[in-house]
Amino acid sequence: MKLLMLSSMLVASAAGAIAEKVVVQYDCIPNYANWGGVTAAYATETGVRIPPDMKGSSAAMAALEAEKANPQADCAYYSGAIGYQAALKGLHQPYKPAGWEKLSDSLKDPDGKWWTVHSAYIAFIVNKAALMGKPVPQSFADLLKPDYKGMVVYDDPTILGTGFTYVYGMNAIMKGGPDMDAGFSYLKKLNTNILNYAKDTVYNDVLRGEIPIWINADGNGLKMKYVDKGDIEVVIPSEGTITMPLVMGMVNGAPHPEETKKYLDWCLGDKAQKLMAQSFFRPVMKINLGSELSKQFLPESAYAKAVNLPLSEMATKADAVKQRWSKEVNAK
Amino acid sequence: MRGLLLSLPLALMIGLLLLYPLTTLFWGSVASAGAISIHSYIELFRDDYYRTALLHSFLLSAVVAFISTFLCLAPAWLFANEEFAGKRLVRALYTLPMSFSGIIVGFLAVIMLGRIGVVPQLFEKATGSNYLSGSAYQLVGLVLAYLYFEIPRATLTLESALRKFDPQLSLAARSLGAGITQRIRLVILPLIWRPLVSTFAVTLTVSLGSFGVALIISKRFSLLPLEIYRAITGYGNKSMMAAMAITLVLLAFIINYSVRNWTLGATEKA
Repeated sequence: MKLLMLSSMLVASAAGAIAEKVVVQYDCIPNYANWGGVTAAYATETGVRIPPDMKGSSAAMAALEAEKANPQADCAYYSGAIGYQAALKGLHQPYKPAGWEKLSDSLKDPDGKWWTVHSAYIAFIVNKAALMGKPVPQSFADLLKPDYKGMVVYDDPTILGTGFTYVYGMNAIMKGGPDMDAGFSYLKKLNTNILNYAKDTVYNDVLRGEIPIWINADGNGLKMKYVDKGDIEVVIPSEGTITMPLVMGMVNGAPHPEETKKYLDWCLGDKAQKLMAQSFFRPVMKINLGSELSKQFLPESAYAKAVNLPLSEMATKADAVKQRWSKEVNAK
Repeated sequence: MRGLLLSLPLALMIGLLLLYPLTTLFWGSVASAGAISIHSYIELFRDDYYRTALLHSFLLSAVVAFISTFLCLAPAWLFANEEFAGKRLVRALYTLPMSFSGIIVGFLAVIMLGRIGVVPQLFEKATGSNYLSGSAYQLVGLVLAYLYFEIPRATLTLESALRKFDPQLSLAARSLGAGITQRIRLVILPLIWRPLVSTFAVTLTVSLGSFGVALIISKRFSLLPLEIYRAITGYGNKSMMAAMAITLVLLAFIINYSVRNWTLGATEKA
């Protein structure tokens, strides 16, 4: 009897899955940039489901490449450089979503192979309670102090896009040249204080104090502070920070093209942009956030020394930089 | 003939789920721009980075397999030969860790042995030293996490082999006047060394392929499964990825095949 009930439930849910409309977005991590909230709102509004997907930028690109002959995904979300790289590899089809003309040229591909949905800055996300009385670090120089031994985490750049943006950008912050030695020399020194190079999202580990200092997108830290009410401080390092545009693109051969276009349009609309802003990622569209939410963002002055990295250069050097990081920083 | 016919589904399945992917993988590892080349294999064995990952994988798996085989001896013996109240429940609980995926075991290691893990905190309360803090991310954490799911697996493997062993033999030897060392050396060891060796081999090959644990907690101890993942997500280097995967498969196959041959050969001679 139980078995019968179970099997009829299975059949029912399978039938439901067929009737239900789906758009597949690679890199749709619910805790990142409020994708959980964005996709839930879209499902309520339209009945179209966008299932969560835990692949980071690089893993998403690798999956698209592997499935090139038989695409499974409709669209993907990336940190800018990786999205640019995916477009270079011919994994995207051109599409210009509604509102396209409002984006400035540096934030989109002229043919519509990728465009920015929001942006973030690299910051220290500090769990103050976990510091155990040590001062909150204010600069990259501070992070090298022995005080913070075994306390610092950043994402493995070979797997996660935010980690790649940070590793790549460190050189610009250290005012290094095209050989990137200045950046790598800093990362090698920082290595002694690193607890782990995260290969999967560690959002919850930071909240519960397992990780005291996470070098990641500022928005994730502000969300921990204001939405999850953690004892969190978000610090923009005094030497400067890196602007990280986060982009989307429509997959070449997307299985549900019509639904995908509607969804991509919606993502640049007021409602989606506001939801992303509630997770403290800066909307690419000028929308009214309301005074309460605006106040929770860090002041513009904090970002005075933000570096804009050319995505084209980042994308072409990406593989070499990741490989160098593996050999010179991770393996030591 | 009927036997052949009945094995057809199995043969199809092996062909489809094992031979086809292996062939594709092998092809991917040697095909480069329309030509055949083994440069990925050469790089794998020449480049220090990949060689270290291969060596680490083998050493870690061997150490874990050795400790698991040693530690599982007593529980396997108990489950195979003794009857006690609640045995089935104990056995079920004991083998539970086997069913967890590697990533879950990785998270568990962080909760138990992380920077603010349960064990380091208790240790600090008791001794005042934070020596164990963050040990999940060190080599010791990796070994413990692997042991966590490998000991139950080794126990089950050894237990089924020990069931064939007749405890009466040891008793008979004792009534004939053999002391404990004599009984271990002349009766028990000759009977159980083969299952021990094959338990070691099975555990070693399972560890070789394990990925999830290392993904979560391996800070910089590079392991081949992790590098396979990196090669494809990080650098889009399909040929290197395929070469590493094929090497891992071959290594596991050679270990299992030669151990089997060796123990069988020894049986025939005896």
